[in-house]
Amino acid sequence: MALSKNSGGHRGMQESMYSVIALVFILVACVELCDAAAAIDVYRLIQYDMSGSAYGSRFAALNHHAASLHFPPGADLSRAVLVIPLRELNITFVREYINQKKPLGGLLFLLPDIFSFENGGNKQVHEKEQLKNLLAELEQLLIHANIPYPVYFAFENDEIDTVLADIKKNDAIGQPATATTGGYKLVIPTPEPKKVASPTITNIQGWLSGLKADGDTNQLPTIAIVASYDTFGAAPALSVGSDSNGSGVVALLEIARLFSLLYSNPKTRGRYNLLFGLTSGGPYNYNGTQKWLRSFDQRLRESIDYAICLNSIGSWDNELWIHVSKPPENAYIKQIFEGFSNVAEEMDIKVGLKHKKINISNPRVAREHEQFSRLRVTAATLSEISTAPELLQGTGGLYDSRQFVNETAITRGVKLVAESLARHIYGHQGKNVQIFADGGSLAVNPAYIQSWLDLLSQTPRVAPFLSKNDPFVMALKKELADHTDEVNMQHEVLEGVFTFYDSTSARLNIYQVASVTFDLLLLLVLGSYLIVLFSFLVITTRGLDDLISLFRRPPSRKVKTA
Amino acid sequence: MIYKSVFSGLIEGPKQIQSNKNKTICSSQIQIENWGQKIRRKMTMFHFFNCAILTFGPHAVYYSATPLSEYDTLGTSVKAALVYLGTALVKVSENDGFDPYQELLKAVIGFIDVAGLYFALTQLTHRNISQNHKFQAVGLGWAFADSVLHRLAPLWVGARGLEFTWDFILQGLEANANLVLSISLAALGSLMWLRKNKPKTLIPIIYACAGIVATMPSITSYLRRGLGWHFPKVVGFELFTSLSMAFISWQLFSACQRPSS
Repeated sequence: MALSKNSGGHRGMQESMYSVIALVFILVACVELCDAAAAIDVYRLIQYDMSGSAYGSRFAALNHHAASLHFPPGADLSRAVLVIPLRELNITFVREYINQKKPLGGLLFLLPDIFSFENGGNKQVHEKEQLKNLLAELEQLLIHANIPYPVYFAFENDEIDTVLADIKKNDAIGQPATATTGGYKLVIPTPEPKKVASPTITNIQGWLSGLKADGDTNQLPTIAIVASYDTFGAAPALSVGSDSNGSGVVALLEIARLFSLLYSNPKTRGRYNLLFGLTSGGPYNYNGTQKWLRSFDQRLRESIDYAICLNSIGSWDNELWIHVSKPPENAYIKQIFEGFSNVAEEMDIKVGLKHKKINISNPRVAREHEQFSRLRVTAATLSEISTAPELLQGTGGLYDSRQFVNETAITRGVKLVAESLARHIYGHQGKNVQIFADGGSLAVNPAYIQSWLDLLSQTPRVAPFLSKNDPFVMALKKELADHTDEVNMQHEVLEGVFTFYDSTSARLNIYQVASVTFDLLLLLVLGSYLIVLFSFLVITTRGLDDLISLFRRPPSRKVKTA
Repeated sequence: MIYKSVFSGLIEGPKQIQSNKNKTICSSQIQIENWGQKIRRKMTMFHFFNCAILTFGPHAVYYSATPLSEYDTLGTSVKAALVYLGTALVKVSENDGFDPYQELLKAVIGFIDVAGLYFALTQLTHRNISQNHKFQAVGLGWAFADSVLHRLAPLWVGARGLEFTWDFILQGLEANANLVLSISLAALGSLMWLRKNKPKTLIPIIYACAGIVATMPSITSYLRRGLGWHFPKVVGFELFTSLSMAFISWQLFSACQRPSS
């Protein structure tokens, strides 16, 4: 009897062994092993109040399921985050969602690599321009909207691409991601954003003294060269503003370097003082420039012959514009324009003059020279853009990255400005004299321009997020101090019209979550496995009759199954 | 976050920002979010529960299904579990060795296991239980202690997390394989040390099988680290070998039992 029982048990054991192995293979083969959670850096849309109205994304924390643009129509997205790569962006769709205030859990925009600093990006030029314009349009839409859910930007990489492909696959099947079906969960655990208290704007000025003749008691005339260095964009942690106004800052530093070389030797020191100004608060109607000018001594202000403001001179081919507020017939304006035109002609550059009257009652200041003009100082802005930008437009946003700036354009711009200034200072107007000739000791240094441009393209410079002792501001100060006699910093508080909120960047965690149905299925499988095991053991050790007897009468001991 | 904003909205009065929040989030949506969050938290506990029953269920089932429960061999199992904990402590103190000695050390650790089992089988005073049940009880206690020591903590910490991995289910399957291995090792151990009259031809086979089963841990770690097998493959291998070793030791056990019965 023992023999037959053993052989019967032997056969039963073989069968159960096969079934267990089969079960294991089914479980493993059905679903592939999923990756661990991915974590990527994300950058939040700016949140600010302007004159009491709220703009930007009002929330920071995120804890929702991910959905793609291929979601089934009519799906409820109020608990889902839409992941949209820029290449597939349909701007009317986003505009509709935002303007009609449709409920959404969050938005995550994926930007192509060309907008980040690290990638060299040798894509086709056509595609670059298209994406740049699309991104500029998207930025303007997001900045001026009040969005009651978190909006984040991230750069495309392999991890997020595979996740997105998976999400699209799930959406195509028609399974909207909710708590009961599996999918990806995007979690950003940040606290609620708080106001930035007393945002400071810091103006840096460098003073290069001219040569005073013996016995000359009069104040030497001054020429001011100004550029604003701060930016404003949809994602403050990414607003590096390579062209607006990184190009202007770099040009100013290079001009300062060249003139410091000239002025270091008393024999070549000109009879003009040079005042270099790196101002902040540019996007906010050049608030910093206004405060800087107001802090001047009356005498100093009157001694300024004229001021040249540099803005966006990094991506032009052959044409630059000089914007003025005084009418072109004005003698001073004529002099400045002629000086620039002569040099430009020699360099094969076309320079045009744009005149726009200022309206004192209108607080909008589109270009920096207008702040000078309001205080009756002759000034002009040199720029590659012919039209006047709107408020918070063209202030160095997401699309303004290193890829779109050309060092040679900046180099030529520097040469143009430096030559024109030098001819005015040394009285060589109209003469064909090359002071900053290429190849000479005073040549414009492209390596200097490139290294500073690279640095600027990696440093986000939104003024409220730059503290008083920010390392970058200190670096600018030190650089200007190297090239000038005297450097001063002026700290001011940004006007009360604007209020900013912090929490500009975060870390996004992507979890792959299993659905409830999976857990229930697993429970079912485990339950049946344990029951099978139980019955198998009872049969083999105690015999089949025992098993049947368990069900016939109430068991004396509680049967332990899961 | 949502609660705070709604409450602050109620307290601070209808400011512009708060009124926007109130418009977009109505009370029913808040309720649904609460419910959803509770579900998610329960789900992660659910997964933990599933993996726990996969890891520890078979032990309970084995105890209750076989005649062990009728003979009340719980004491034996508990004692065996304690002996396992003792050997585990000894193993911990042996763990700092260099890489060249790693394999040798692992083999030594395997034999510490065997020594512990020997101690549990022979030295502990059991109540009058038959040979048949003694080794099962010892093996069961041994495997249960092993699972608790090595798998409970990672399970508690990991399986309740948000991210889903297959690791814990595979770990549970590994626990099952380990149970079978422990019982077969205990069976072979009892054959070696407790049974006096063994057929001469089978003795070398018994010792060979015992050696294989004892060195199983080092074999699996070599597969994982040396050959770079993935976890599911290793677990499959463990299940397969444990079942085959169980089968072989069953045959040996019944072969040894035949002359006496």
